[in-house]
Amino acid sequence: MSNITISNGARPLRFITCGSVDDGKSTLIGRLLYDSNALMLDQLDALAAASRKRGGANASTDAIDLSLATDGLEAEREQGITIDVAYRYFATPKRKFIIADAPGHEQYTRNMVTGASKSDVAVVLIDVTKLDFSAQALELLPQTIRHAAIVGLLGLVHVVVAVNKMDAIDFDELKFERVVAAFTKLAQALSLPAFTAVPVSALHGDGIVIHTERTAWFKGPALLPLLESIDLDASSGAHEARTAALIAVQYVTRDALDDHRRWICGDLAGSALDVGTRIRAWPSGASAIVTAINTPRGATSSAACGEALSIALDRQLDVARGDWVIAETSERDEVQPVRCATATVAWLGNAPHTQSRRLLARHGTRWLPVRITRVFSRLDLNQGRWIELDESDSDRANEGVTTNDLVNVNIEFASELPLATFAACKALASFVLVDPSTNVTAGAGMISSVE
Amino acid sequence: MTARDAFLTQQSAELRASDAHLNWLEDEAISILREVFGAFERPGLLCSCGKDSLVVLHLALKAAAPGVLPTPLVHIDTGHNFPEVIAFRDEMIANSGLKLIVGHFEDSINRGTIQLAHPLESRNVHQTVTLLETIEAHRFDALIGGARRDEEKARAKERVFSHRDNFGQWQPRAQRPELWNLYNTRLATGEHFRVFPISNWTELDIWNYIARENIALPSIYYTHQREVVERSGLLVPVTDITPPRSGEKVVTRDVRFRTVGDVSCTCPVASLAANADDVIVETIGATASERGATRMDDRANDSAMERRKKEGYF
Repeated sequence: MSNITISNGARPLRFITCGSVDDGKSTLIGRLLYDSNALMLDQLDALAAASRKRGGANASTDAIDLSLATDGLEAEREQGITIDVAYRYFATPKRKFIIADAPGHEQYTRNMVTGASKSDVAVVLIDVTKLDFSAQALELLPQTIRHAAIVGLLGLVHVVVAVNKMDAIDFDELKFERVVAAFTKLAQALSLPAFTAVPVSALHGDGIVIHTERTAWFKGPALLPLLESIDLDASSGAHEARTAALIAVQYVTRDALDDHRRWICGDLAGSALDVGTRIRAWPSGASAIVTAINTPRGATSSAACGEALSIALDRQLDVARGDWVIAETSERDEVQPVRCATATVAWLGNAPHTQSRRLLARHGTRWLPVRITRVFSRLDLNQGRWIELDESDSDRANEGVTTNDLVNVNIEFASELPLATFAACKALASFVLVDPSTNVTAGAGMISSVE
Repeated sequence: MTARDAFLTQQSAELRASDAHLNWLEDEAISILREVFGAFERPGLLCSCGKDSLVVLHLALKAAAPGVLPTPLVHIDTGHNFPEVIAFRDEMIANSGLKLIVGHFEDSINRGTIQLAHPLESRNVHQTVTLLETIEAHRFDALIGGARRDEEKARAKERVFSHRDNFGQWQPRAQRPELWNLYNTRLATGEHFRVFPISNWTELDIWNYIARENIALPSIYYTHQREVVERSGLLVPVTDITPPRSGEKVVTRDVRFRTVGDVSCTCPVASLAANADDVIVETIGATASERGATRMDDRANDSAMERRKKEGYF
């Protein structure tokens, strides 16, 4: 085993790619897979065959159309479109990567929200061939504004802007700088986190895994080394630590060796949890002290955010699936159970939402009825700004909320919940909405303020 | 030199998963398994005693510990098994106290719900019938499986909690969006979920985890001598079910299996790998995909897997 090097301790980086097929998104992913050796010979053979069949062969990539590497379902291959989020995997010696490949056009909000909810980083593609560089102030496309707005809403901590098809504009550095300036303006308007831009040509492989002579003027890393170097714990760890340690109880089990000992299982969110910490169960309010913590690696005296735990307490508490276990602390913001809040909701269902509709919410591991009491603004994705809906404007109020809408709402849960804002604690702030008549997932919600 | 060649030259070819990486996958899988234990009334754990299902079983035992595993194991037995795998299964059940439910392919034949064109036909496609009959007989509301998204393109789009209607069908165009870890586990009567805790694992992750956790596997996953014939680029094992065709030359080779399924459609690869660490080295250097190198059933056409899955295939 001496020839095997052990890579550093990075956990996998999950990223979503935002862009449409036209922007070269599929080519970019295909390029990452191909250049990192994630495609096997039989898969390359299949690709070459498909490329010949499609007539889309491209001489510069050994007659393989790399965009076909991400083709999935039969219906998609027939129609040349992408229907649903697909997940791709590749690894370098530094890190494992999970790509959420969300299609750009049909149902884009639904798919982007889904993919982004499981991502740490967004790679936003900008196709320079679609921009008008003759204009005095360079305008980005509406779809770039949409992508940026959704990325901002879902609280991804890093954004990478891949400025693609640089080959079509002769790798012009000044034009690249103009795109960066335009995105900087957009990022400020939407309060996005810091972003990094990279000039690339996915088709020819410039700036993807390495910079070529043609992008040598660019001083930053190429796309893949950039993704390899992002430190997730530094950003998301600090983010989550604002809240006390907490567990949404998934499952309670009896110790096989000691029938009186019960173990409470769930994922740790917020801060670290230590043996000896006093916790409070919610909703019962009863308190106890943590006497033992197991992670999948074994017993520990202190567990970190994200670990799948089972914990034992110094006394029997009435705790079941659907409850929360929250550490008592004087240092962190205290979590106050409430029934009403404002939230941003991405409407994913095919049926529009109307005020009279009954909904169920899943928050943590609890299901409960919920009501949207008022829709007060809607995100205009083309302009990247919120449009206030006047209550007296009955036409707008009756319009309802339709698929792919992003709206700010007042929401009322059937009973109190420990809620926090999305900025403070994702675990307490996120919920899904389900239509109880069909069990279809109808919406994704993020608490924006607690009343 | 292309950018790709330059990059690959720069990289050391060796890739070994870090502990942080495996820990992340392990936490995610255990969290998914506890969702099943907590949210469903009659879950089952599909276990063919292949490497992926044995990894899932190992994770499920961790997810339940220090309590007992709250689900039975479910094996769909096509009758066309490698004897080493069945011996492994029976010994594991005898030593562990785990409960095993076997759905027998032969029972479906006797009931007339499966009709074979000829006795040596591949049973892989037909086993969907036995699987659905077993689900119905035991009223399973969630079946945990070891499928991975990196195996095949139709699987790349599958949800972790994959909804099946009351005919057991997967509807790829009507999948429920899956947000954060807030899985929509709601079902109507007669429907069920297939749940895939190792969706995000690759073949290399699986072998790294097997090595790290010392997970026992059936012996045919490691090098052994076996009689095979070479047929369209595959090494086809010589068995009662897959006899050599006329004119084919039977040779003895050092082989191991990368996947273990029905005898009639699973082929070994040439290998001298004697343990999980050896397999990791081979997997890093592999030039063919896992299914591409070993499965006759996926070669039928480009959408073979997708079509089987829509019908309720595992």
